[in-house]
This record gives sequence, C-alpha cells and structure tokens, in this order.
Amino acid sequence: MSTITSIPKEHLDNFFASLSDAILFFHKELCPHCKNMEKVLIKFSAKAPSVEIFSIDSEIHPELMKKLSFERVPTLVFVRNGEVVKVHSGLMNPRELKTLHASL
Amino acid sequence: MNTTYDLIILGGGVAGMTSAIYGARANLRVLILDENACGGLVNWTKVVENMPSYTSIGGMELVERIQEQVEALGVDIEEAACIDAIDFSGEEKIIEADDTVYKAKAVIVATGRKPVPLEVAGECDNVHFCAICDGAAYKGKKVLVVGGGNSGFDEAIALLDQGIEELMLVEKMDTFFAAQSAQDELQSRPNSTISHSTEVTDVVYGEKLQSVTLRNVATNETIEHECDGIFVFMGQEPGTEVFEGQLSLDKQGYIDTDDLMKTSVAGVFAAGDVRQKKYRQITTAMADGTIAALEAERFIHSITE
Repeated sequence: MSTITSIPKEHLDNFFASLSDAILFFHKELCPHCKNMEKVLIKFSAKAPSVEIFSIDSEIHPELMKKLSFERVPTLVFVRNGEVVKVHSGLMNPRELKTLHASL
Repeated sequence: MNTTYDLIILGGGVAGMTSAIYGARANLRVLILDENACGGLVNWTKVVENMPSYTSIGGMELVERIQEQVEALGVDIEEAACIDAIDFSGEEKIIEADDTVYKAKAVIVATGRKPVPLEVAGECDNVHFCAICDGAAYKGKKVLVVGGGNSGFDEAIALLDQGIEELMLVEKMDTFFAAQSAQDELQSRPNSTISHSTEVTDVVYGEKLQSVTLRNVATNETIEHECDGIFVFMGQEPGTEVFEGQLSLDKQGYIDTDDLMKTSVAGVFAAGDVRQKKYRQITTAMADGTIAALEAERFIHSITE
C-alpha cells in the first residue's frame, strides 16, 4: 500500500542507529487508518524534507513491533541520532504531527 | 500557486470523486479537498459487491481506480487537508485550509460521515473502530463487538480470522441489520455469540479494560461480561460542525438539499452521505455526485454568462 520508501535493510540490521532524524511508519495492507496516515506523512514530508520517512509493513516485521512494545497500526516511531525517542499509535493530522516532531 | 477554481469539492469519497469527473469533463477547473485520504468510507469496506461493473472488488481497490480516473482528468487533489474556515456568504466561496485560501464559483460538500462513538466508554485504549488496524492485539483474547449492521458482522468475522478466542456481538435494536449471509457466517463460528436488544451501559476498568455491563433493553436485566477489548460499529454521523451557520442542517446535522442537491446557499451543493437522505450506498453517492456536478456546472455558467 505505502508509497513511502520501505526502510532499507541496513537500518533494520543496526536497529536504526544510522538514522539522525527519521520517522518510521508501521502499517498494514488494507488498513484504512494507515492509508490516511500515509497521506499525512507525505504532506508533512513536503514541508520537512530533512526528516527521513520510511515505511515498515508490520506484518512482514512483527518482531520489530514486539521489540518496540506496540501492537497497533498505524504507529509512528520517531528516531533521533540513532535512538528511538517516541512511539505514537493512532492518527494525527499534519499539524499535530508537526507539533509532536518539533517537541522531541 | 493559483488557488482559484471553478468548482471546489469538499470530500474525496465516491460522491466527491464522481462530481469531480463530471466537473472536469465539463471543462471546469476542479479541486478536491479531503481531510484524510480520498475514498471515504469505501476505504473501510473490505469487499464491494453491490455496485454494477464488478462482481466483487475490494473497497480500497475500487477507490484507487476511481481516483486514477479523476487524476487523469486533471483534477487537483489535496489530501490530509485541515480545513480551518469556510465562508459561503459571498458570490465567491472561500475555504481556508492548511494556511491557504481557496476560492471558487461553486462548492460541492461531500464530506460524508464518521463513526458514532461508544459514549459510555470515554477515552480508553481498548476501544477501537477498525478490526484490521487493531485486531491482532487481541489474538487469544476476548472482545465485544457493538453493532449489528454489515460493518459489525463483517468486522467481527475479520476479528475471528485474526485469532480472537471469544467474541460477542451485541445490537441495541430488536433485530440485526446485516446481510443474512454475514449473519450466517458469524453464527457458524463456534467461538462467537450474538445478542440483539442488548446495549452497553457501563465499562469497568482496572489498569485496563476488565468487563462491560450489558443490559437487555426488553427485560431490563443486566449482566457483567468479561472482555479485553471493544470494537464499535454503531453506524455513522455527519461531521458538519464547520457548516453550522452557513448551511441549513437537519436535527441530526445532515445537510438539507432538494432533489437537485442544492443547499440553502446558492452555488453550494451537497452530495452523498453528508446530505439528509434515506439510502446511503455507493450507487446513490454516485447519483448525488452526478446531479450536484451537473447543477454546479449550470450554476457557474449562469453567473458567468
């Protein structure tokens, strides 16, 4: 479903250590909330091009969800300087996403 | 960026996209603004089988095909658009969204509906509105499904397919409204029970959801029912607060229109689930969208001739 770039394997192998400012979008195929969240991320990305945004199909990588302690989608995982700094499940609009990202 | 259009359509569901097709083919400059992704409620429909042209098609796939058609006709689409203000009082209709002011000669409101919340639950991490999104978290657990229409039964089956240990579906009315085939399918599952004339009157929390209180509305008897999660499918209501004071609404908040989709304001039309009507189907949304666009075209020509 997602038109956002799938996360490259090297980022998975080192558990995001090489990412400086990124949002990881965990989603499922045929999830309507995920489809809406994807549009929000695309809009956010246009205004914040320095933030890397990657998609992760939660059904392909359930181990990551378990490791990060969440079970629902859509979920955004915010990474700063190689560290997971925030995990947020549920919908946001572009303004809410911008505010949350700026607060981290 | 030129933000002046002939026709702005608020809402990119089936009604809105059908309007866009007609508007674009009439050589109007058309914009769709949607606060989510285009498709509306059809995105939530697993399988569509009542629409002529496909024996069976997934809701999201159907939306993608319609959207491809709309985009091929040159319609501008802004998704995830936060609408801040509207002003339909002047000859030029004004909509502010995402810090941008859009203007149009005519507007079609096709913003659809949103899920009715379970009022007794309040804020709770264990209340959900989407089986695909949140069902996996309840594998091996007990869930309650509220709502005896097609959505309730379809989503209940989807939950069971994800490994729910025990499922109960309740409906407040004295009958179920889902297609008989969906009812038969759910009743054939050994780990599900269904009850009509039953409503949720209370929700018991500890550190997390523990149980619900169910009341039989015919006998007034109550029981405690243990469950780990609640999935709510009690129908839809219009999100028309932004149009209050601008358009005539009925008591439930639906937009009043005539048979030609005209609202109380000249140049503003409404189509689809957001308008007061009896049958809300993909096919009736398409019909509304068609009429609204044709009337909008006539209106635009009448003010520009």
